[in-house]
Amino acid sequence: MREALQSLFLLRQAPNPTALAICLGLALAASVLLLYALHRLLGPRGRRWLIALVTFVGGLFFGLEWFYPARGHPSKNFLTDWIEPVSNMLTVVGAFTVGLGIYSLSQVHGRNVRLRRPGWHNSLAFFIAMVAMFVFGLWEHYLHLREPLPKLVPWPKGIYEILFSGLFAPLQAATFSLLAFYIASAAYRAFRIRTAEAGLMMAAAFVVMLGQVPVGAWLTSAIPAASGWSFFRLEKLGEWVLAWLNTPAQRAITFGVAIGALAMSLRVWLSLERGTFFSEQS
Amino acid sequence: MGALEHANWFMTALFCTMSGVIVASVLLAQRGRAMFIRRIPGLAAIEEAVGRATEMGRPMLFSTGLWGIDIVTLQALAILSYIVRLAARQATRLIVATASSSLLPVAEESVREAYTSAGRPEAHRPEDVRFVSEEQFSYALGTIGIMARERTATNFLFGAFFAEALMLTENGRVLGALQVAGCPDPTQIPFFIATCDYVVIGDEYYAASAYLTREPTLTGSLVGQDLAKALLIGLILAGIGLATSYAGPAAPHNFLLNWLAQGR
Repeated sequence: MREALQSLFLLRQAPNPTALAICLGLALAASVLLLYALHRLLGPRGRRWLIALVTFVGGLFFGLEWFYPARGHPSKNFLTDWIEPVSNMLTVVGAFTVGLGIYSLSQVHGRNVRLRRPGWHNSLAFFIAMVAMFVFGLWEHYLHLREPLPKLVPWPKGIYEILFSGLFAPLQAATFSLLAFYIASAAYRAFRIRTAEAGLMMAAAFVVMLGQVPVGAWLTSAIPAASGWSFFRLEKLGEWVLAWLNTPAQRAITFGVAIGALAMSLRVWLSLERGTFFSEQS
Repeated sequence: MGALEHANWFMTALFCTMSGVIVASVLLAQRGRAMFIRRIPGLAAIEEAVGRATEMGRPMLFSTGLWGIDIVTLQALAILSYIVRLAARQATRLIVATASSSLLPVAEESVREAYTSAGRPEAHRPEDVRFVSEEQFSYALGTIGIMARERTATNFLFGAFFAEALMLTENGRVLGALQVAGCPDPTQIPFFIATCDYVVIGDEYYAASAYLTREPTLTGSLVGQDLAKALLIGLILAGIGLATSYAGPAAPHNFLLNWLAQGR
């Protein structure tokens, strides 16, 4: 039984493409039917119970796999082999929601175009970009081109390169580069010395920033590195502020966050959390 | 030392103890034990922030950050539910921007149910829960676009944020919105503090649903969380004591240092 299930979920060899296509089609049809049946047959209360049950079983599985004593190298217990198929299953379930995302975007931008709202041409650009990336991305994929590429690449590949490497990637990089200006303006506001705390933060930031750049080391290079005063060399002082003041504070926050996450996980696992799917109290 | 593949006995014992403390505290709270929660300014400001948008007659924006369904975003959804209820009572529009298509249906359901439980299901506009993009900077630009076009009076940012955090909040500030943010990641908190009006810091983030609803189960869990923290502080102090007392020539016989060094 176990072997049969594992052979179903763990792909150990390249499958026959036709068989794979049939299996995928059947699985998709079965999933849609199952979701439809659940949606029709279960009321809100039934759905909540189902979600609570799946959450509990899922949490129990991952929790047991982590805490149950494991032997060997790499260490394994009776559940470890199931981690990969279960994770794949979660990925597949997650993939179903991509369509919902596209639907949501199309709904918002379609309405903008239909009603000719201000900036509707941006929404039109969204549709053109989405269709172009979808068509040429798939087309390029199914060309099955291998390295090294020929000197004259097929035109669908060329268009895909223009769209991805020529437009998308530089636009992302340009947006990221804007961050430098945002950091400068936010730092200006944060470092204005209006209170004693802001003054202290400014002093600490000044030491740390100077300690990170060569000019900082040069400024205090008159202090001999071997002397008892070497602590006051800016590169050492900056390092001390980071290692002895900043790191403990960050760790303290991380400890608090970890315990908060544990409490939240327990609440979700046991369906005690308030919210749509978790609680009868909502 | 390689990454741990499974918990060791110490982690298992610590997990069980802490979970036990939290669950015991929940049970005590459910039996009626009064529990005190200190004021958390960032969470107390939510009502004021919704009120401001109502007075200005402008919508609000809620960003759930970059991640899909996980503990951080589930907490963000619990806060979202509370804000939607407030917004529904005050007839103020709230736009939700998500960066994960898997989170979208959950967020939609949360918002729909919050409007229903607030007694105003007709105020729910499905198109106000939007998927923007799964790409970090596309999400940032799309969300900034919503802020600018809709002229949001209040921006809420709760969830997992990274480099896009500063872009969102700097633009929100330039556009004159009141901003309340919360994020459990210590590396992003400074950016929020520099640009937002109110910030929920560290474990305050996970205290949100208890603080906002004051339900016994959640309050008990929050108090249990603090007790677990006290336990951890005790362990740290004991570790410091043990490591210090066995330092020097006796160090090779220090079981604690040996255990930590071997990473067992």
